[in-house]
Amino acid sequence: MTGLLAIIILGSLILIFGLRLALQSPRTQSPSITLEEFANARDALDTTFVEAAAIERIFSTEDMEFISHSSSPQARRLFLEERKALAIRWLRKTQKQVAQLMDLHFRLAGHTHEPNPRFELKLGTKYLSFLLVSYLLLFLLWLRGPFKARRVVAYTSHVAGYFCTVFSLRLESINAVHLGPDDSDPDPGV
Amino acid sequence: MLANFIWWTAIALEVVILLRSGLTGLLKKYPLFFSYIGCVLLTEIIRLLTNALAPKLYEPLYWPVELVTILASYAVMVEIFRWSTRHKPGIRRLTQRALLTVFALTVAYAASNFVHGKFSSPSRAVAALGRDLRYVEAGILLLMLWLLLRYRIPLGRNLRGLLIGYSFWVGVNVVNLALWFVPGNEFSILLRRLLPATYLFTLGIWCVTLWSVYPEPVQPAETKIERDYELLAAKTQAVLARASTRLARIMRP
Repeated sequence: MTGLLAIIILGSLILIFGLRLALQSPRTQSPSITLEEFANARDALDTTFVEAAAIERIFSTEDMEFISHSSSPQARRLFLEERKALAIRWLRKTQKQVAQLMDLHFRLAGHTHEPNPRFELKLGTKYLSFLLVSYLLLFLLWLRGPFKARRVVAYTSHVAGYFCTVFSLRLESINAVHLGPDDSDPDPGV
Repeated sequence: MLANFIWWTAIALEVVILLRSGLTGLLKKYPLFFSYIGCVLLTEIIRLLTNALAPKLYEPLYWPVELVTILASYAVMVEIFRWSTRHKPGIRRLTQRALLTVFALTVAYAASNFVHGKFSSPSRAVAALGRDLRYVEAGILLLMLWLLLRYRIPLGRNLRGLLIGYSFWVGVNVVNLALWFVPGNEFSILLRRLLPATYLFTLGIWCVTLWSVYPEPVQPAETKIERDYELLAAKTQAVLARASTRLARIMRP
């Protein structure tokens, strides 16, 4: 019965992917990566590293302790709501940024001379686990607030950092000759 | 009556696809795919003649002929793979390795099933082998589709149509084969009745998308990329030269 189910899933997935291919417009299929995109990805990467300290502050209990000792319950509630919204916004942004990095990674992999299958598999698995944990964190943040989910936050930050490092290494191995031409003047800092 | 209509329509569509490919020049471009269509056409004519002239032979002949068709359909995958990765040396190597690994693993699995399986008759054994080979094909096709979608490999309209039609046919066939081997499944009976119609639909997709020659996606012009790359290299060189000059000034006593 399990085998039968697996085969039916296999057939259904082929049909779904085939349909997706049929619905995909040739424009979105374009894999061309411009020098500008290449530069922007590097900037986004740098920002992620710079923001690390500020992110830790969002989830730090120090501020909460200070507010609890010296403010009214109303101020404490307001502070909690604000931090919760900030934490959720940060998580959404991280998810979006990692998804963008992954997307660019896949597109760049097409231009790389030697993509490593083992590395691709490892990266894919990491990305899946990141998605799973980040959605779990989103649920935890929504349910219990930012100060009760520190361990999951630490894991999410760690995996996001891993993606940035991997992506940085990937950028190093890109053959610039195969990148698409830029519409504007290329940034000298690229 | 309906079965005969579907049979003759399929043969007519296959002939049209082959004739049209000869006229447009697509036959030379995708020789493996059109060889597959030719093979299917031939097996259908054999089946049709057997059904009309020697009906007793039809059943024992069905699965061996089906097996030949399934084996021939691997050529379509080779064709899709060959064309979709022709400008991507990196992806080509990656997919080649991945596809070979999946193929080797699943063929080994199918062969071991075939060797160790207890089949009541040779035709049953051939049927099971045909089914396993179709599963292997489906596994490879799924991997190929995932890679094409994930790495956003651009496909021309002809190749896209070929792939969409092929995915539809293999997908429906795999689900049908899986249920075929479950006795007394009502959905399987329904699906089996629908299968010839789905094949006609597949031929329809191929007929429409391969009717004319469509241009392949354009690769960025080499000269333009090289110009950008040279610009980038020149700027890097200038930055390096400036840094060296500053360093030399600092080091000067």
